[in-house]
Amino acid sequence: MQILLSLQGYKKGMSFMIKLQGVWKEYQIDREITFTALKDITLTIEKGEFIGVVGPSGCGKSTLMYVMGLLDQPTKGSIHVDEKNVTGLGDDKISALRNAFFGFVFQQFNLINKLTVLENILLPSVYASVKLSYDPLEKARDLVDKFGLKGKENSYPNKISGGQQQRVAIARALIMHPECILADEPTGNLDSKTGESILDLLSELNREEKITIVVVTHDAHVAERTRRTIKMVDGQIV
Amino acid sequence: MKYIRYLVFTIKSAFFDFSRSKGRTFLTSLGILIGVMAVVLLMVLGLGLKRYIEQQFESLGSNLMYVMPGSKATITRGGGIVGGIKFDDKDVRTIEKVKSITYIASGYAKAGSTVEANGKTEIVEIVGSSEQIVPMFNLEVEYGRLMEKKDVQKGGKVIMLSTTVVEKLFDSAEESVGKNVTMENQNFKIIGVIKSKGGGGLGGGGLDDHAYIPFKATYSFNPDKKFYAIYFKAENKDAIPQIKEDVQRLLERRYDKDDFSVLEQKEIMETISSIFSIINTVLVAIAAISLVVGGIGIMNIMYVTVTERIREIGIRRALGAKKSDILAQFLTESVILSLIGGILGLTVSYVIVFFLQSLFPAYIDAQSIILALGVSSAIGIIFGVFPAKKAADLTPMDAIRYE
Repeated sequence: MQILLSLQGYKKGMSFMIKLQGVWKEYQIDREITFTALKDITLTIEKGEFIGVVGPSGCGKSTLMYVMGLLDQPTKGSIHVDEKNVTGLGDDKISALRNAFFGFVFQQFNLINKLTVLENILLPSVYASVKLSYDPLEKARDLVDKFGLKGKENSYPNKISGGQQQRVAIARALIMHPECILADEPTGNLDSKTGESILDLLSELNREEKITIVVVTHDAHVAERTRRTIKMVDGQIV
Repeated sequence: MKYIRYLVFTIKSAFFDFSRSKGRTFLTSLGILIGVMAVVLLMVLGLGLKRYIEQQFESLGSNLMYVMPGSKATITRGGGIVGGIKFDDKDVRTIEKVKSITYIASGYAKAGSTVEANGKTEIVEIVGSSEQIVPMFNLEVEYGRLMEKKDVQKGGKVIMLSTTVVEKLFDSAEESVGKNVTMENQNFKIIGVIKSKGGGGLGGGGLDDHAYIPFKATYSFNPDKKFYAIYFKAENKDAIPQIKEDVQRLLERRYDKDDFSVLEQKEIMETISSIFSIINTVLVAIAAISLVVGGIGIMNIMYVTVTERIREIGIRRALGAKKSDILAQFLTESVILSLIGGILGLTVSYVIVFFLQSLFPAYIDAQSIILALGVSSAIGIIFGVFPAKKAADLTPMDAIRYE
């Protein structure tokens, strides 16, 4: 609870929405064969939602998350973020938006092993294109305290447990005060108890901080924890 | 603060990778090390040699002039110093008449002769001349006496050697006076030991390996009694142009104007300097090839590094790094890699130059340091840009999903 109270002060509080309209994502496997990962996806995510994207592996749910998180461009269709069409924006603008708007949490944690816990949490702030209204170092220290990582600030990721690594990843996702956290199988590499605590943390952030959260998972139990579930099969929402 | 942190993170990342693969980092830097060392040492060597020659000329004193065979054009282009016509005593007597000439002497020179005493030998350059060579070359006696007019007139088998030479042949320089040495199958008596003018090393003794004998004493091995150069000294600097003109005119009565040239010391020095500059430029250019090879080594390793770290690139891009941030990161790494090589190359050069200093005036100047570091940074950028661009152009999603 304490986490939430202290984070409240940092909120930006703008109206938020991600809208995908007729989005296709195709991959050219070779000259003849094209693989369609997303087929005509139309989806609106309102501010403050806690969404689970479920489906069997290979159904395109991760691709959906990456396209939504502006990590890849759709082949066709448009993406609106915060009511602005961001399709076809230049790389610098897309990167800046990704930096300020989204936080990512991955199954493999994806921390940078050569940076310490504190430096990993701070990393998005060094890529910020706007001057931050707060001191990221102070904020990173707050997050360390509140996520039970005290004493591990100067440890390297390979020296801490999986659950701790995922907490670092979430802290890193929060350093820029994102509007939306996109999590790809966030509990996939954790035991059920640790996984549960990560899900608790995410739902707290959603509930108290009003951060929109999209969790991609194949685990029905994880999906149960979300408030809306989007089911995908063969690149389509069903 | 953000920029400092950005820099710290970037450099820290670079060094983390270097320390994780120390062997690879060292081998990659070794290419640059060798390249920088080759360039710096050749530059230092070239400059040192030039300086050494200049010092030797300066020790001869000012206002020295020469008549040499060959046209000025061929001499200043570096050819024809030896060869062409030869001069004789008649020419010396002709030039002697020119106003403002204080000293004049024939300059018979034979390099690579052997002088022997006590079963030991030394390589010398025979200078067959007159007593006037003494004030002209600023020769000073250490032991014994200098060559005098009577020695020259008699053409006696007397010789003046430098301390450097006699010390190698005799137990002490002082004792050598009055002793005989064998040169060109003849015995010569040492009348005087000349103070060393310094320099030497590099397989040549500079002015110290001169063996001065009266010109007449050369007749036995110089049957045509001729010589390749006439040395003379102007009274003062202002007299030089007039002397040049007069000598030129007088000699043109006997020789074709393209067959000889009247030179002042400055011109010879400039000629030698320019020859050295050309040789040096060529050598440095050849050495620079090794820098390019070193750069290719860096490029190769940077490509490997990029492939190894595709996932890291993806993570950074997901967190908001722009293409330019990734480009900057990998360029920083290749520049650091190259600079490590550059700095090590400079350090090794320093050590080598330190030992070379006992042989001739060599030192690494600020220009060489700036050049070495500048060039190695430039190589880091030039050869790092393609791998860095490859890293920056990866799609964030492809990078992050890379296994």
